[in-house]
Amino acid sequence: MKITVESRSGSCAAFQCGERETILYAGLRQGLNLPYECATGTCGTCRARVMSGVIEMRWKEAPGAKKLKPDKGDVLMCQTRPLSDCMLRVPSDIATTCGNRPASRRGVIRGIRRLTNDVAHFELYLTEPMDFEAGQFVVLETGDLSGGRAYSMVNFDNSTAKVTFVMKRKPGGGFSDWLFTRRADEVQVEVFGPLGRAVYRPEEGKNIICIAGGSGIAGMMSILEHSTRADHFKNYEGAVFFGVRTLSDAFFLEALARYVTASNSKLRVTIALSHEDAKTPTHPDYPVLKLASGMVHDVAADTMQGRYENSVVYVAGPPVMVDSAIRALIMGGVPTLDIRYDKYS
Amino acid sequence: MAWKRICGADEVLENTAKKFNIDGIPILLVNYGEGYRAIPPICPHMEEPLEESGVIVRCVLTCTKHLWSWDLKTLEMKGETEKPLKVYDVKQEDGVILANIEEELAYEFDGAEEEDDDFFK
Repeated sequence: MKITVESRSGSCAAFQCGERETILYAGLRQGLNLPYECATGTCGTCRARVMSGVIEMRWKEAPGAKKLKPDKGDVLMCQTRPLSDCMLRVPSDIATTCGNRPASRRGVIRGIRRLTNDVAHFELYLTEPMDFEAGQFVVLETGDLSGGRAYSMVNFDNSTAKVTFVMKRKPGGGFSDWLFTRRADEVQVEVFGPLGRAVYRPEEGKNIICIAGGSGIAGMMSILEHSTRADHFKNYEGAVFFGVRTLSDAFFLEALARYVTASNSKLRVTIALSHEDAKTPTHPDYPVLKLASGMVHDVAADTMQGRYENSVVYVAGPPVMVDSAIRALIMGGVPTLDIRYDKYS
Repeated sequence: MAWKRICGADEVLENTAKKFNIDGIPILLVNYGEGYRAIPPICPHMEEPLEESGVIVRCVLTCTKHLWSWDLKTLEMKGETEKPLKVYDVKQEDGVILANIEEELAYEFDGAEEEDDDFFK
C-alpha cells in the first residue's frame, strides 16, 4: 500500500507500507523522521490525521490516543495499519534521516535470569545483526500477546546479533509478567528497532550525567560501556545516579564498579535509596560506589548543583521521576538540547 | 481594544505562572521577573497544561514534557521548538496587570485548519 504523508510545511513524502506493519514503522524503516517517542502507543507523539484511505487501529484504547479526535480521522501512526492507499497529515516537519534506519528482525529470547525480586535480565539473539547507538531501544512483540513493549539495550557492540535487556516485572503487566514466568523457555519474538534519540556520541565531547530510576539504568549501562571503550573519561567526567527503593533492589553493581575503576574515578556512581537510609557512605561490597538516601532526582540535583557545565544529561525511569529530574535540570540551567530522554515507560 | 484586568501584580510571584479565567477565556499569566506574558494555558506542541508542565528560569519558559522553550523577553523559540507562543498584549497600571483580549488565542494541532485558511487567500 502506498502511504503519502504531508508535513506541516506542506511538503509530501511517500512510502510503501506492508499489510502487517504500522505506518510509523514503515516510514521509519524507509528513512523518514516521522515524529515518535515511545513507538508503543503510550506517549501520543506520533499522532496524524488520515485525510483519505482506510485504516485499522491495532490498540484503540492506547493511552496516547486519549487526546485524539477520532471523528476527524486522528490516529497514532504506531498503532495504525493501512487497509488501502492512504494520505495522512503530520503536525511536524518531515525529512529523510541519515544514519541507522530501524528494521524488523526476528529473534529468540534466552537466558532469562532474575537480578532482584522484580527485575530480570534477558538476552535476545537476532536472526540478523543490528547496529545501534548506546541509549537506544527496540520494540519486542510475541505472537502470544498483542502489542509491543519497548526495552533499552544494556550492552553495546557494533553490528551484533546478541543484545541484552533488563525488565521490571509489573504485576498484571502483560509481557513482563509473561516473560518472567518463562525462565527456561526459548521465546520467539519480533523485533523492531533500533529506536530513540537519547543516545551517546563520543564526538560530542562533553561530561556525562546519568539519572536513572530502577530498570531505567538499562540504557545507561550501554552508554557507560561505549564511553568506557571510547576512553571518554580520560578527558571528561561522569556522574551516574541510580535510584532504587532499597539496597537489595540494586543490580548491575559489579559492572558499575568496574566502570568506575576503569575511569580512574573520573566516573562517580551514586546509588540513591528512596525507601531506606543509606547506612554507610559507600556500598559495603563495592566501596567505589557511593550510597545516598532520598529520591534519585533530588540526590542528583543536590550533588550536581552548579556543576552542569559542558554536560549531556541522560534521564530514564518512571514518568514521575523523569519529570522531576527534568524540572531540576532546567532549574539548574542545563540547556534543553543537552537533556536526553525517551519516554516509554 | 479590550483591556481586561487579570490580577494584581503581586498575585503571580516571580518565575511562576498562574491560570485565570477572564470572561470564559483561559489565560496563563507568566511572571518572568523582567515582565509579564499572558498566553494560552497550553503548550502549542501537545496541549500540555503549562501551569503544571512549565518551568520559568532566566526569562525562558520551558515545557518539561518535551522541552519546547521560548525566551519570554523576545518570544524567540529555543532549542528544538517548532511553534511560536501566542501572546496577548499586557500592561501594568497601578499595581494591576491588564491584558488586551479581543478573542481567545488558540493553537492549531493538526494543520488541517491552517490549510483551510490558505484556501481563501
